[in-house]
Amino acid sequence: MGEIVRYKRDVWGEEVILGVSWDLLYVVFMAIVLLLVAHAIVMAALAKKNLDRPTADGKKVVRHETVDRWFHWLMAASILALIFTGISPILGLRIAWLDLHWMSGLLLTFLVVAHIVRASFWQDFKSMLLVPKDFGEPFDSSRKPGKYYFEQKGMHWAVTVVTLAVIVTGVLMFMQIDTPFWDRTNSMAEDQLGLVFLLHGLSTLALVALAATHIYFALRPEKIYYTRSMISGWMSEDELAANHDPALWSPKEAD
Amino acid sequence: MVATSHDVMPDIELYQPADEATALDLAARLGNEGWLLSGGQDTYGWLKDRNKTPSAMIELTQIDAWKGVKETSDGIEIGATTTLTEIANDPLIKSRFGLLAKAASVVASPQIRNVGTLGGNLNQDARCWYYRRGLDCYRAGGNICYADSPEGLNREHALFGASRCVAVSPSDTAPALVALDATMVISSSSGQRTMSAQDYFVGPDRDIVNMTALNEGEILTAVRLPNAWANAEFYWEKVADRNVWDFALVSIAAVFKASGNTIEDSRVACGAVECVPRRLESVEDAIRGQQRSEALASNAGELATNGARPLNYNHFKVPLMQNLVKRAIRG
Repeated sequence: MGEIVRYKRDVWGEEVILGVSWDLLYVVFMAIVLLLVAHAIVMAALAKKNLDRPTADGKKVVRHETVDRWFHWLMAASILALIFTGISPILGLRIAWLDLHWMSGLLLTFLVVAHIVRASFWQDFKSMLLVPKDFGEPFDSSRKPGKYYFEQKGMHWAVTVVTLAVIVTGVLMFMQIDTPFWDRTNSMAEDQLGLVFLLHGLSTLALVALAATHIYFALRPEKIYYTRSMISGWMSEDELAANHDPALWSPKEAD
Repeated sequence: MVATSHDVMPDIELYQPADEATALDLAARLGNEGWLLSGGQDTYGWLKDRNKTPSAMIELTQIDAWKGVKETSDGIEIGATTTLTEIANDPLIKSRFGLLAKAASVVASPQIRNVGTLGGNLNQDARCWYYRRGLDCYRAGGNICYADSPEGLNREHALFGASRCVAVSPSDTAPALVALDATMVISSSSGQRTMSAQDYFVGPDRDIVNMTALNEGEILTAVRLPNAWANAEFYWEKVADRNVWDFALVSIAAVFKASGNTIEDSRVACGAVECVPRRLESVEDAIRGQQRSEALASNAGELATNGARPLNYNHFKVPLMQNLVKRAIRG
């Protein structure tokens, strides 16, 4: 325990990076569990007896189009599959994980590319942009956001950076193994390979932390209607009025 | 760390249990720190080179219950610490399961067979020299296979089933047991389980560190051979660079039930072409119910190597494997 990077001697006896220390997986897991449990306790202590929550009744507006919800859930499934298959040998599970891992990775890569294209040309890309004035939003209770909260934007961009890091390093590793698309070459220099393994490992650890945090907040009762909207696509006008500024986001009515 | 042979044993605790319960308790308590020692032929090199550094050895050869050959209601049971010489010379094995006697008789050298045991031969670690030399390859917890690199020397390595590691199963008795449809008896302090020989050996896709299904604290204590294949028609052949004290380049173990010239059923397995003994089910299906002929043998040979992926220096294994299958079917 205690090291972040593992080193080894290469074939010439030189010290090179081997990868991330997987002890950190347990550290990240424990840290996330502690933080989220602490958050849950604080939220429970601060909770009001009579919650004045917006109602789901009444007219509905569209929050997420069907295609975007499919993107979200397929990305979620592929990320969870990647995490499970990736850490299974670390946990000592004896499964043929590598094929499932690269297939999930390929699916995630395709979805991410398709999402980037769609978000750039068919969606309101600006609604997800984090601009300097957004950083004051959490400290000003009078301000309501457009389509996304500061926290939601932050989570999205953190996941974006980490996922892109996982994909880029994953593709480099993918090129070292046999696939239906090419034969393995196994020709990357050991020091470069070690660096790729290290970055893949670090981004995996970050992804584990972000996925756990995202799932936790998605299940929190006070904002559960955002999760519902990712399943059903809609939120009520009451929920919209309570949380969003109609001047910044005016969605169309749901069918 | 690249190995430096010290040629002396490191300081290590030695346990010599005389009964099963004590051995199983020790295995459970020591876990991966307790190296299971039988004949020691796969052990001393690792330890002298300091490439494996367990804190203790559990010597299993003093436990009488895990030695010898006995008849059961459905076949025979061979204790895992029975020596290879005993297996090669045992009248019961020779009379009913000559395939295993033959396989045991060509392991390494007479001196090694005198102390080497069935359990040790089945559980020995990969013989890839990069791994044995102490390099941090995939199998040793690293992130590269040196044998599979563009400059790698891989003449003895795998044709099939490479998944980051290209080491092969080095055991001579393993393909014989797969062909004979043996059952492995695995004991631990929490009880006993059995599994087929075919499932006992594990490829790198499932576990790149271990070559068998043994878990921490478990010991292979016996092998059972069912009568279903007793006195069948057997074929065994091992091709190696030397006739003595060498590992197979390719080996074949085959059992046939034949009626006249017709093959009614068979089980065929090859050694040293994959990380596990490679069962040739496509060959078995193709020859079932067929008359033995040169054409059948030739077709079966071709079929056997479908999907082979030779490395830089082991293309010769493809025709070698084809010819061994041909010879087995010719009988």
